[in-house]
Amino acid sequence: MLQFAIKRLLLLVPVFLAVSLVIFLIIHLVPGDPLDHIIQVGSSPEQQAQMIARYGLDQPLIAQYLRWLGKVVTGDLGDAIVLRQPVAKLIAENLPHSLALGGLAFLFSTIIGITVGVLAASFRDSLFDRAVMGLILLGSTLPSFWLGLLMILMFAVQFEWFPVSGARSWEALVLPVLTIGIGGTALIARVTRAAMIETANRDFVRVLYAKGLPFWRIQLRHVLQHALMPVATILGLRIGWILGGAVTVEFVFARPGLGSLLITALGQRDYPLVQGCLLMLAIAVMLGTLLGDLVQAAMDPRLREVMGAR
Amino acid sequence: MTKMKVRGAALALALAGTAISGALSAVVAQEATFVLTARWVGAPTYNPIKATKLNTATTLIYDRLVLQDADQSFHGQLATSWETSADGKQWTFKLKPGVKFHNGEPFNAKTIEWWVPQFKGTENAFTVEAIERVEVIDDLTVRFHMKNPDPNLLSNLASSFMCIPEPKSYQALGDKFGVSEAVGTGPYKLQQFTVGQQTVLVRNDDYAWASDLSKNQGPAKFKKLTFREIAEESTAYLELKTGGADLIVAVPTDFLPRMQADKSIKVVTIPGTELVYMPINTSVEPFTDIKVREATAFAVNQAEIMKSLYGGLGEVADTFLISSLQESKVDPKYKISYDPERSKRLFDEAGWKLGPNGIRVKDGKPLQVKFWAQNGTEFKRLAEVLQAQLKAVGMQADITILDSSTINSQYRKKTDHQLAVRAYLWTNADIVDWFFSAKRLGYPNVSMFNDPEAEKLNDIAMNKSRNWDERVVNFTKYHEYVLSQYPFAPIYQPVQLFAHGKRVTMPEKIRGSGLSSQSIVDIEPVN
Repeated sequence: MLQFAIKRLLLLVPVFLAVSLVIFLIIHLVPGDPLDHIIQVGSSPEQQAQMIARYGLDQPLIAQYLRWLGKVVTGDLGDAIVLRQPVAKLIAENLPHSLALGGLAFLFSTIIGITVGVLAASFRDSLFDRAVMGLILLGSTLPSFWLGLLMILMFAVQFEWFPVSGARSWEALVLPVLTIGIGGTALIARVTRAAMIETANRDFVRVLYAKGLPFWRIQLRHVLQHALMPVATILGLRIGWILGGAVTVEFVFARPGLGSLLITALGQRDYPLVQGCLLMLAIAVMLGTLLGDLVQAAMDPRLREVMGAR
Repeated sequence: MTKMKVRGAALALALAGTAISGALSAVVAQEATFVLTARWVGAPTYNPIKATKLNTATTLIYDRLVLQDADQSFHGQLATSWETSADGKQWTFKLKPGVKFHNGEPFNAKTIEWWVPQFKGTENAFTVEAIERVEVIDDLTVRFHMKNPDPNLLSNLASSFMCIPEPKSYQALGDKFGVSEAVGTGPYKLQQFTVGQQTVLVRNDDYAWASDLSKNQGPAKFKKLTFREIAEESTAYLELKTGGADLIVAVPTDFLPRMQADKSIKVVTIPGTELVYMPINTSVEPFTDIKVREATAFAVNQAEIMKSLYGGLGEVADTFLISSLQESKVDPKYKISYDPERSKRLFDEAGWKLGPNGIRVKDGKPLQVKFWAQNGTEFKRLAEVLQAQLKAVGMQADITILDSSTINSQYRKKTDHQLAVRAYLWTNADIVDWFFSAKRLGYPNVSMFNDPEAEKLNDIAMNKSRNWDERVVNFTKYHEYVLSQYPFAPIYQPVQLFAHGKRVTMPEKIRGSGLSSQSIVDIEPVN
């Protein structure tokens, strides 16, 4: 297992290098310039040229990339051009907010998704199954930006149960967590339901029924256990999404976090900050996928051989 | 006896309840939350010397030597008086006595002597570029020796980038100054700052040196002020509506009808410092012909735009400068106001004849131009109205919407655009230099205006004026010449909109060119 884990970890190195190059090129090839956000009315063209040189933006793109990558591998993400602070510090300040929001939304969608999936599979083709799955599908198809505003109007403006925005209390987390969580719930519920139905048709389950075991015991102890394999893969992929999935929701709810930081940085074309944020999100996705693979391999030794051989 | 006990207990409870609610309302009234929206979001630091973007809270943490009112007059804040020598090469300032920084350090002439050289090498260096050296005459008198006369000095000193920090903490904190701590002489002290999120200020109880623009000459009325940054305007509006915020600094025009209809919200308007205009790229066909530029400029119906898009609030623009500036008072013959007949006649004279489909044609080519606007509801709607107005005189303008960061780099390509919609916020005539000087072709000179006579007048206005009056005359001449060449069409001067809830009372008159310290210290809680 350890050998498998190390092998999978080493595979991430070329992926990381490729991702870093793509991230760097994307933001530098998009039209726009961070200097537009820092030049002052009245400054001379010479002063502007000095600024370009100060931030190394007059260097060839490849030289800028290598300099940035060289710093990144030593743990230095550089300084934000417009926000004038170390990128690592800005990320460190915002990361806990994203982790809290994304983590709780992940927990919400996992618990509700699996529960709903199990219930829907257990009452397959019933009115309950159709109603719940239909509702969840509807929730997941609504854009989070719009759903967030809808939540604010209903629960903050109409009922006054929760604050409209901000991050000053735990109550302020409820609406953004629900907004993100509902989207994730549908996927997990659908995968759980499908896996439960597929497992329920297998021979060993029929044997359990033949032995006279109670329905819910079979569903929860035997069917669910087997059905969790594909769910684990989906959950692994969604770990990365914990950080990246909240971009627009953080904006609507005026919450601090990597999403808000990334939107600000993109709007200002603050290259080092955009690169730093995207790199963090990419690393989260890579590690999430790795974790998903490891969990799956731990659950099913046959996968270790197949995935390890790849 | 039992009844009496119950009644007594009920009375005691009622009294206690009243006392608690009274105490609570007193507590609530001690604090207020202001919301900064859209363009005011994202100031990275409260270091005025090095910052390139500052927000309203800056003027509460620090004071400046002078302040400028809405009518562009200057008023002392940390300076009591000032005078300039006849040749404009010396400025002498008398400073207020008894002023102390938040950390107890005294403010005096030595502070100014230290402060001015700090700008060297920063993005704001141009503000003090004309000052050769600072001489301390006595504890409360300081003299600037100028390299050359700079009649714009007072205007520069009134800028929020000229807020004065405390020297010792500035040096001790280095790059952390303005982020972890910010020490000034202002009516509030910085308690907490999270970039892009919020700034918490607590009252400076020693404050007793407000300018004559403030009614309140003592400490501010609120003990604590929180400035929240909310980029999403719908969220900001809902915070105000639900009582999560007390005031929105800069309300977007889109929200005006909703706010005006809401009884829990009061909207305050003051004259704006913004001007919306349509640059015309003078370097590309058909706008290389001055008659076509003039015809295009006179096709813009400013009054209709103001009425249909801005609910009649604000002022139409007929020059390049906001109307509170003296340099905007140009000879009426240079003003650009809607005149469709003149527009049509000029197009005809330029050889652009009306075609059968309503679009003008010259040498078999239709009058079809590329019209750029940045994204955002307001710009999109404005571009659409302008498109219709241009169509009415026979010009087909094809709109392209670009995001605000992309559009500037596209302008730098110089010849890709023909018309555009833009806006600027500025309270000085030198904005004409910024947008029309040949030194900055492409961006910010989107009009690609490159004219020898204009450059000559620019040099006189920017560098040869010896005093303020001379500067006004020179800039008016430069402005008039630019107007005569039609590198743009003026459109509109929006008002500034503030919205507040029921817990605060705004002063009768907002002083200054926006909502800053001189008026905020006059905002009162409603008990």
